[in-house]
Amino acid sequence: VAVASERLAAPAIAAPSSRWRGRPAQVGLVVLLMVVAFALWRDEFPWPLWLTWSELPAKLDDLQGWLLDERTAEDPNLIFAIFDGFRALADWLVTALTDMLEWLTWVGTAAAGTLLVWRFGGLRAALVVLAAFASFALMGLWEQSIQTLALMLAAVVLSLVIGMPIGVWAGRSQRVHRAITPALDAMQIVPAFAYLMPVVILFSVGPAAAVICTMIYAIPPAVRITALGIRGVTHDTVEASNAFGATRLQTLFKVQLPLARRQLLLSVNQTIMFALSLVVIAGLIGGRGLGDVVTNGLYSNASLALLAGVAIVIMAIALDRATAAIAERTDPIHRHLTDEGRRRARLATVGVLVAIAAIALVARALGVDAVYPDEFETASYVYTATIEDTLLDWIQSVLDYVQDPTSFVFGITEPIGNFLVEYALEPLRVWLVEMPWFVTIAGMGAIAFLASGLRPAITVVLMLLAIGIMGVWEPAMDTASQVLVATAIAVALGIAIGVWAAESPRVERLLRPLLDTLQTLPQLVYIIPFIYLMPVSRVPGVVASVLYAVPVVIRLVTSGVRNVPREAVEAASAFGATQKQVLMKVKIPLARDAIMLGVNQGIIMVLAVVVIGGLVGSGALGDEVARGLQRNEFGQGVVASLAILALGIALDRVTQSKGRRNRGQFR
Amino acid sequence: MGSSRIRGVIAALALAAAMTVAACGEKKEETPASSDSGGAATAKEDCGQVTLNEQAWAGSTANTYIAKAVLEDELGCQVEITKIAEIPVFQAMADGEVDAVLEDWQHTDEYKKYIEEAGTVVDGGPLGVEGHIGWFIPKYLMDANPEFASWEGLKGNEEMFKTAESGDQGMFLGGDPSYVQKDKELIKALDLNFKHVTAGAEPAQVARWTQLYKQEKPVIFYWYTPQFYNQQYELAEVELPERTPDCKDDAKSGGNPEQYKCAYDVTVIEKLFSKKFADSGSPAYDVLKNMELTNEDQEAVAKAIAGDKEDPEKAAQDWIAENQDTVQAWLG
Repeated sequence: VAVASERLAAPAIAAPSSRWRGRPAQVGLVVLLMVVAFALWRDEFPWPLWLTWSELPAKLDDLQGWLLDERTAEDPNLIFAIFDGFRALADWLVTALTDMLEWLTWVGTAAAGTLLVWRFGGLRAALVVLAAFASFALMGLWEQSIQTLALMLAAVVLSLVIGMPIGVWAGRSQRVHRAITPALDAMQIVPAFAYLMPVVILFSVGPAAAVICTMIYAIPPAVRITALGIRGVTHDTVEASNAFGATRLQTLFKVQLPLARRQLLLSVNQTIMFALSLVVIAGLIGGRGLGDVVTNGLYSNASLALLAGVAIVIMAIALDRATAAIAERTDPIHRHLTDEGRRRARLATVGVLVAIAAIALVARALGVDAVYPDEFETASYVYTATIEDTLLDWIQSVLDYVQDPTSFVFGITEPIGNFLVEYALEPLRVWLVEMPWFVTIAGMGAIAFLASGLRPAITVVLMLLAIGIMGVWEPAMDTASQVLVATAIAVALGIAIGVWAAESPRVERLLRPLLDTLQTLPQLVYIIPFIYLMPVSRVPGVVASVLYAVPVVIRLVTSGVRNVPREAVEAASAFGATQKQVLMKVKIPLARDAIMLGVNQGIIMVLAVVVIGGLVGSGALGDEVARGLQRNEFGQGVVASLAILALGIALDRVTQSKGRRNRGQFR
Repeated sequence: MGSSRIRGVIAALALAAAMTVAACGEKKEETPASSDSGGAATAKEDCGQVTLNEQAWAGSTANTYIAKAVLEDELGCQVEITKIAEIPVFQAMADGEVDAVLEDWQHTDEYKKYIEEAGTVVDGGPLGVEGHIGWFIPKYLMDANPEFASWEGLKGNEEMFKTAESGDQGMFLGGDPSYVQKDKELIKALDLNFKHVTAGAEPAQVARWTQLYKQEKPVIFYWYTPQFYNQQYELAEVELPERTPDCKDDAKSGGNPEQYKCAYDVTVIEKLFSKKFADSGSPAYDVLKNMELTNEDQEAVAKAIAGDKEDPEKAAQDWIAENQDTVQAWLG
């Protein structure tokens, strides 16, 4: 997964080549001026009413009402017929996949997964897959895991069917690429909570709705990485192909696609990862499986919710290893097959398929269950087949410890939580909320200008104005204060650990599984212990965002420091610099671009957790988005989501640095 | 070559299976006669499949599983349980994807849209459980400060509830944002020096106040009955101003705080059915329509499930065994 997670950052970011020309003194001066303005006019200029479009939420509510009326109208219009068709297709796909996996029986399913991965991805990946199946069985979550697997596969297949052609198109045309990028950004930043209800109105509840929500989030990486792959085929190759008289289509199918094969498989891998991260949300609208267990377990059985979260992580790791291995092994660049080899490979594939069928048939003949049973019965004994109870007891005892306010750990974590609120979150919130609004906008614009240039500065000003006009200035500033604190912590930790990992391969190896887990474990799951350990409402949300963002920062920093040219390091050593001097004076300054990229990505990742924070007491925008679904304040929820998007764009532009805009991934 | 690989995999699978059994197989003294449920001599009508929606809290799990057991064992229905969030489930009923919700806490906006206007959902009458929302404090705190029995006693003592999150003011711990509430407005209207702090979803709110409870610190919070935690923690209620005729409970629409200045009304918990299900002539519909529970029934089963971690099916069956009269009355 480590490799994959590094790639995970890739779709959202451009190539790491920013050029931070920030003038720290000038930025400092701007901040100082803001402080002075704050002292002068504290709390005197809240966002003015005359600049607020207060009917916006009501208008959006009307829109949803209209949708509902149209949907229930006697003769539905054509658009709805298309939606119904799509719904039927998605439902059919999920049901067919589930039925197939159940027909195979649990033995057959495990054998099929393991053998196929073995054939195409090699033994190591196959063993990971086998271990994953074994753990679903032992955890007593086989049925839910299979349901989630079917849901994911359906969502991924449909996402790729839609995303890859768009990606190819975007890869071949700069204009298309520029046109769809904002849409892709929006699809990834706008929280799923905001569009859950419209999706339910259009597609009802159940697997189809869950698949569609997942697709909205999983299509962007499919498009992005495909486009990247197509563009990665060098100009010379394409020109050579044209010179030989190939048509555009021939060039595409015979040259660009085969050469981009690795990237295409990578986009499959990333689409799966993104799809899995929406599994929990899908549980809210009838997507069965592990997500269901997590969302509902939170209220009545926290230890079961945690266990299901672990199952999701295991599934993510297994799918990632399997697809990464397949991408690697089947890459034509690494495979030089003779005709004989090709024949043998085909034979092996047939053999594997026959073996799967045989295992399934034998299993069915022996009466093996469709899903892994809780108990095995023999004539005189009943064996418990899972260790679910043991695991749950164990998790519960951890939770009990965490819930005990006299525990040693609580004695440390509680003061930390209180400290964060009193000395970071609250002062910054007051500062941002009570600062005259025009000072905030001017100040942020000025910082963006100094750090990134004129165009980003204009964007920042426009985004902040939009937030105010939508009528959510105060909650947005509250959220901004939490985002800034979380990003600061994530960046500080990320740089420290990232530099350490870059210096010591052993540290990096030890960190890898931990970082993988943090990126794939649903945030709702790891937030649970912190709700108890730091019982101050805004802190668990901050902790969750730090935990989610820090892996990306660590990875970017590590690779940045690693990639410092060897010559520079050697030259410094030759001049007699100590190891520490080399690190501080050569490596870190030269890796500054990568580090700034880490800051930028950290902010985006932190924003992704804002809504989850709303569920554990962060309030502000996240709370409004969550309520949009839970209390059907649709308009308000959408407005808050758009504000999160605007805040994301603004903070991105402030930190993106000069140069990256022009030297992005697509030259 | 293929076959040697396959043999290897079969061996691996067999090994995994063997390990499974070896690692966790616990011998039981005797084979329990596993499924003897549903064998009763009741005539089984053609009931077919019924889909019930379980809401996220334990009380809903309790009544949903009681209904499931009754429908399966007495009518031979096949009951499926979905877990869809409170608002989307209205659309699910309208589409016939879900047949019934047994515990709905007065979502009046949706009643208007789906029951009155579209007519795709029907009101199945009250479940019998009555919801009560209010301001609660731990009993130890009430014992030490008897004046807290009424909201007037809180006045001037707000500082006692100070936490890191509330600054100079006292902390009032707000309820799950998805629930009906008006505490921000009440605090303003009653001119109390509390800061309303949102704890987020219910599990997070529970974490907050139980943590303070265990430390025997002062805490005041939005809470409600029936709730199985009420059997686990000793709580006492702070009396709010008496209800007036035009007083409102749901501050969603905002406006002048004065219009919310009273205690919460009793919430009648409704059963809701999909129109399609109500018209289907299924015997399950009649039973569910007759179904009634008291707060005590529901809390007891909910505690067995969420507090004592019992299997919901078993907890429901135990309750049915002890309350045969009630169940027979539903069957008509």
